[in-house]
Amino acid sequence: MQVLGIVGHSESGKTTLVERLTQRLSGTGRVATVKHCTHPPDVDTDGKDTARHRDAGAGETVALTDDGEWYATGQSRTLDETLDALAPDYDYALVEGYSDASIPKVVLGDLEVADPVVHRAPHGAGADLDDIVTAMEERDPYITLETLVADVKRDPDEVYSGAIATFTGRVRAQEGPDDPPTELLEFERYDEVAAEKMATLRRDLEARDGVHAVRLHHKTGVVDAGEDIVFVVILAGHRGEAFRAVEDGINRLKEEVPLFKKEVTVDEEFWAHER
Amino acid sequence: MEWKLFAHLRDAADGQSVSVDIEEDATVETALDALLASRPALAEEVLDENEELADHIRVLVNGEDPFAAADGLATAVDEETELALFPPVSGG
Repeated sequence: MQVLGIVGHSESGKTTLVERLTQRLSGTGRVATVKHCTHPPDVDTDGKDTARHRDAGAGETVALTDDGEWYATGQSRTLDETLDALAPDYDYALVEGYSDASIPKVVLGDLEVADPVVHRAPHGAGADLDDIVTAMEERDPYITLETLVADVKRDPDEVYSGAIATFTGRVRAQEGPDDPPTELLEFERYDEVAAEKMATLRRDLEARDGVHAVRLHHKTGVVDAGEDIVFVVILAGHRGEAFRAVEDGINRLKEEVPLFKKEVTVDEEFWAHER
Repeated sequence: MEWKLFAHLRDAADGQSVSVDIEEDATVETALDALLASRPALAEEVLDENEELADHIRVLVNGEDPFAAADGLATAVDEETELALFPPVSGG
């Protein structure tokens, strides 16, 4: 899923740009939007019952029809959790607001925002959609384990598949209780060569008898302690092939793909293999 | 031509990408000499006690390993070649 923030002062045309991008992108994929609100949203026009549920103490309430239309309310969700929930099912998430988030963003007008900024324009009505879409597509997509699992389940060969095996590599905060805690890891990548090596690895694994689909993803940039770094997902006919491929997949990825790790602990920071 | 540097080698050379001037019949070796001449702090990170390229340091020539697929340090390079220098990979 590609994520794009649209930020700017009020009247800079943020909603207009979200509308224009949604219209454009729904031609190529499924679009979801997130709106940053400064006041609690007022959704109970219809839901007298869900308001009563909430007042009674329900943490989340969902109103759902037999046709699958729904709305939900909740108390404590972050932007990341929201994007994680959308990632398996959507190709694009347009986020109106959140100028401090570290998602790629379009800035309308003059506003100080957190990096990365992929495009600037004076107003949402005239902003160049081609440039914005191109800049967005150049970014690494937002990928979760569930994204990759949902993807392999859509493979045509899922009808022959009785097994999905996955590996998740995550940032380990400590080796043991006396180890100075790691705060984050930062990953650098030799882009073109890494893309080639990942493609080769995927092809090799998919060529194995009984393996029907393979997905690999390794994040770059900063990954905080406790967060996921790398995923290997295997869809296979049977569990034997699935287990073998997932283990070989991560082992080969670690050996062959030009990625470089920098570790930041409470005491120091250093690159792996730095003397 | 251009050297791409990664991890602490990038820090030592103070830049992800370093351009060096090379002669007509340049090789990986002469291109490396040119790089180390222009970024002396890098020499400490990549050379061993015999002033040779340390075993653990990787070189790629247009994305390929010159020791596996060509003539190692004697592999010919030109203006268009992309060379990369990095420590052991550490993804995952």
